[in-house]
Amino acid sequence: MKSSFSFILDGTVVTIDAESGLPPTTTVLEYLRASAAHKGVKEGCAEGDCGACTVVLGSADASGRISYAAVDSCLVFLPMLHGKELVTVENIAPDTGLHPVQEAMVATGGSQCGFCTPGFIMSLFALSKNHDHPSREVIDDALTGNLCRCTGYQPIIAAAAASCVHGGRDHFSAGEERVAAMLRSIPQGSICLRTEHQVYHRPASLGEALSLLHQHQDAIVIGGASDIGLRVTKRHELLASIIDISGIGELKACADQGTFAEFGAGASLSAVEESARAAFPALAAMLSVFGSRQIRNVATLGGNLGTASPIGDMLPVLFAYDAVILLEGMNRRREIPVREFIVGYRKTLRRPDELITGVRIAKPGPDAAVRSYKVSKRKDLDISTVSGAFRLERDAAGRVSSIVLAYGGMAERTKRAAAAEEFLLGKPWDRSSVEGAMALMSKDFTPISDARAGAEMRSVAARNLLLKFWNDTQR
Amino acid sequence: MTGAAGHTTNVVPHESAAKHVTGEAVYVDDILVSGELLVGRVVTSPHAHAKILSFDLGAARAVPGVHAVLSSRDIPGVNDMGPVVHDEVCLAADRVFCVGQAVFLIAAESAEQCRAAERLIHVVYEPLAPILTLADAIAQGTLLGPPASIVRGDAASAIRKAPHRFSGELETGAQEHWYLESQVALCVPGEGKELQVYSSSQHPSETQALVASVLGIGKHDVVVEVRRMGGAFGGKETQANHTACWTALLARASGRPVKIRLFRDDDMIMTGKRHRFLSRYEAGFDDRGMLLGLSAELHCDGGCATDLTFAILQRAMLHIDNTYFIPDITVVGKAYRTNLPSNTAFRGFGGPQGMAVVEQVIDRVARTLGLDAAEVRRRNFYGTDSRNVTHYGQTVERNHLPLLFDRLTASSGYAKRRADAGIFNASHEFVKRGIALTPVKFGISFTTSFLNQAGALVLIYKDGTILVNHGGTEMGQGLHTKMQQIAAREFGVSLDRVKVNATNTAKVPNTSATAASAGSDLNGMAVKNAADILKARIAEAIAPVLTGGNTSDPTRPEDILFEKNSIVDGRHAGRSISFADAMPVMQRLQVSLSASGFYKTPGIGWDSVKGTGKPFFYFAFGMAVTEAELDLLTGRHTILRADILYDVGESLNPQIDLGQIEGGFVQGLGWCTTEEIKWDDKGNLLTHSPDTYKIPSVQDIPREFYTALLDNVPNPGTIHSSKAVAEPPFMLALSAWLAIKDALSAASNHTKEPEFSLPATNEVILLSLEKLKAR
Repeated sequence: MKSSFSFILDGTVVTIDAESGLPPTTTVLEYLRASAAHKGVKEGCAEGDCGACTVVLGSADASGRISYAAVDSCLVFLPMLHGKELVTVENIAPDTGLHPVQEAMVATGGSQCGFCTPGFIMSLFALSKNHDHPSREVIDDALTGNLCRCTGYQPIIAAAAASCVHGGRDHFSAGEERVAAMLRSIPQGSICLRTEHQVYHRPASLGEALSLLHQHQDAIVIGGASDIGLRVTKRHELLASIIDISGIGELKACADQGTFAEFGAGASLSAVEESARAAFPALAAMLSVFGSRQIRNVATLGGNLGTASPIGDMLPVLFAYDAVILLEGMNRRREIPVREFIVGYRKTLRRPDELITGVRIAKPGPDAAVRSYKVSKRKDLDISTVSGAFRLERDAAGRVSSIVLAYGGMAERTKRAAAAEEFLLGKPWDRSSVEGAMALMSKDFTPISDARAGAEMRSVAARNLLLKFWNDTQR
Repeated sequence: MTGAAGHTTNVVPHESAAKHVTGEAVYVDDILVSGELLVGRVVTSPHAHAKILSFDLGAARAVPGVHAVLSSRDIPGVNDMGPVVHDEVCLAADRVFCVGQAVFLIAAESAEQCRAAERLIHVVYEPLAPILTLADAIAQGTLLGPPASIVRGDAASAIRKAPHRFSGELETGAQEHWYLESQVALCVPGEGKELQVYSSSQHPSETQALVASVLGIGKHDVVVEVRRMGGAFGGKETQANHTACWTALLARASGRPVKIRLFRDDDMIMTGKRHRFLSRYEAGFDDRGMLLGLSAELHCDGGCATDLTFAILQRAMLHIDNTYFIPDITVVGKAYRTNLPSNTAFRGFGGPQGMAVVEQVIDRVARTLGLDAAEVRRRNFYGTDSRNVTHYGQTVERNHLPLLFDRLTASSGYAKRRADAGIFNASHEFVKRGIALTPVKFGISFTTSFLNQAGALVLIYKDGTILVNHGGTEMGQGLHTKMQQIAAREFGVSLDRVKVNATNTAKVPNTSATAASAGSDLNGMAVKNAADILKARIAEAIAPVLTGGNTSDPTRPEDILFEKNSIVDGRHAGRSISFADAMPVMQRLQVSLSASGFYKTPGIGWDSVKGTGKPFFYFAFGMAVTEAELDLLTGRHTILRADILYDVGESLNPQIDLGQIEGGFVQGLGWCTTEEIKWDDKGNLLTHSPDTYKIPSVQDIPREFYTALLDNVPNPGTIHSSKAVAEPPFMLALSAWLAIKDALSAASNHTKEPEFSLPATNEVILLSLEKLKAR
């Protein structure tokens, strides 16, 4: 087990060990800003909501090609860079002149105060590497995680359209093989970093992770750290024991098995979104408004389930799909239906020595209608005020034979509208039945008022979502 | 697509654009400082209102690495931050007046040491009852000062006699500036009392004055420099001073460089917002929708100190007419003290709050009479020859409203789209569309008339390069770019010969804030004035040189032209010298190549007590048509399309002006829709991070977005015939607000007046729909 980690920055391999004095929970943003050569990266919020700190991570795939993903450097712990190339705004211009995305931003007037600009540049850089002639939808998606308060975004959209036209080929492409070789030179084994107050494990295999978890049951398990990271950046907590499972390849697989699919707990939400699109459109739809591209590139399915947030967007959808949570401990595997897995406010049935390894979802039959809805103040990069995911099956007579109405944001945990469901069972799926069920929802929920909305609005929205679902099934 | 037909000659990129995109642009937090730098931290009040009974800083001061822990007792100068009224302290002394008010300061070698020291500060507070809502403030009468009023005619009588009348109430919400770069300052002590201050401030001269005052030293010992700000929007007009003064106190106490950068949440909790208003109105009108009388009472939440509240309230009162002639009008303004952070300048400076009232009134007039709202607006526009005097007595000159209306309704296809929306609505139960046209007329000048002045210091070096100093600050609005363009045009040199220096109080003294949209108007004229002085000197000295041996037909100074990087005799082809070659000649001829320029706006002035006069040098005009789609089941709106036509006179830089217009519109869109600020019943800000406070993202802008500049409308008497931009476009977003309302109203087939407020969040919309259904 190594006591150091390595990544590529500014064209060379950087190796950091405990001697550096850096706490393992140092964020990539903090690391970069401490360097005179990387003041271009900016802190706007330190919580992944503004994107001013966006950097790009390059990873070598099996073929030796480098794939690029934009991430919020404020939410990435430094050791998570192990085996990756860190690309910053200072790195992308050729020796003379500017990168095409930079040139385009100058030409369209895409910067005003300029403080958000380095983050936008890096999101555009990743976009240019991953998409050729992107549609407006793809551009919007790539830029949702970057806030600009000056321009109104239009010139930035224009810059994206004008510059992402080279099929991802730029002066970086020529150096790709060299970078891939450097990345291959970094050993992919497990890592343990110990400082005076912290121990940070980054196991390379599931078996090793389970063994570590068995020994350190109080350890915090991180996949993407997009939620846990806030405890460091905002609450300044000292996380004493961490097991970082982001280096475990076997947890990242998403596999279509015919009648069902399995999504690895370590798969990024971007990867889940992509592989769910065909068979689980309600899941992909919810993911499309989940966080931002930067967040989805690091956040994992397992992490979102593990936090069991009452407003976690994935849970209602997984309820509707009747997903099964796969858990593994030392010499033990369990499968628990997601509807039983969540037992209270941020509480699950996961035992301290268990890892969530994945989620299995059976493909709904052709007669089942599954939809997901999210009500939030802002359409994108916002946490749900109320979310709903519904599944309807009808018998030959058109009567409701099975119904799931799962809601987030309406109780201390994801909760089904039991009274409304019971009312609908056996009834024709028509507007009067639905309105009858809507009237019963006050029995099912007693929502709270908070910064996002008042209780009354939540109740109205919850009722309306059922009507919306009904309306959508009429097409 | 955007349009700038007729304005294409001045398109140059923002002078810092290449630095922005490479990350080279230096903001205060990026300045490299020696290893002696200390981290500063502000310890704030947890109470909205409390007495400070006692505190003990001993343990905090003993933390290793801590170099200073200060309270108000450690302020060597005056504990006062009030920019106009002296009712705001730098550090709380015996009472705190809002959550987030600064009480103590810490400087240490690391942020962790600061936090450790903070945990050891022991304070005993005695909580007092706070006032947290405007309703409570009104009920308890906590006026910040005497009410103000502007009156023309007899509004009460006009309303009483009018064929139609209604009354109502409108709430407009607070707004957080959300500049990307939070408040920050770096102070580096020099010899003696000298202090170098790097601040993210819109008002370096005031920052300098307050730093000198809290330290008890002369302004000549304090140099404030502002290279650029990462956004400001009014939030750094007065409230950057605080961070600079806290940092200065710590630097003085520790004798070391100190930097304070507020963490985002702290910035949101500690600093003031756009003033929320509760406005009550009564309007009378005739069958054609002509306004006959308007009576309005504007109540605004000043927060716990005055700051710029009276000027903001005044501007709201001066803009309650927007573009409409209202024969009989009474507007009363009242500002209240509450136990929230002192509210402050924010793009529009009260204008949006005032205009929202009259736009709501017109919208209601149209719905009441079943008329098209845009047509009602047109009928009520100020006239060109009559009906052209505002309620405060200023004549609306060069009124471009009819031109804007005709062109914009044509280019946006307003009439057809309005009809199409009606057809769409008839066939959609759960989704409705709405469309609205709103105009803007915005007065340009500081309403405190003496502030309308600016200075510049222009230096020419022997190699022919030019360094421009001026009193304005760069916050992204492109001011330095415009100043560079003006200097280059005046000297007839290419842009690369001109550099605009960081704003520095040691170069240009006693400046006004870069605010009121007047930055390029005022500083541009000051730069031109300095250039004129230098050109006259150069022309005088170079004329004999160009004459050479031709003494019988000499080059006269008045014939000298500055063009194409040369100095030429306009009457004699061939008599010329390159600008760069001329400068060593000037030095040999002992000609001074530096000059200070100055400008004061002529012909303005007004009596704010009587509420009459000419407060504004001119008016800026603009108009927008916006269409929205509303999902009645979720309250979600989508802005389908916005068309903007805007008057910038002769644009100094069309790309920058279009960027300001679009950016201002989208910022206004945030205020009108998703930006909602909430406090709990203890005065704690609930929406203290971008997690819960939602400014527009890329997906919130109009799906189709067309912006164009009105062409062939030079503005006489201003720098290169231009007009201000900056603030007025913000208010065009009221078209989006009313388009959403129009869609909401379609749910009752426009038969009922929906409840509505600002911002129109999905919550406001859903609850309003519930009430429409119940009625």
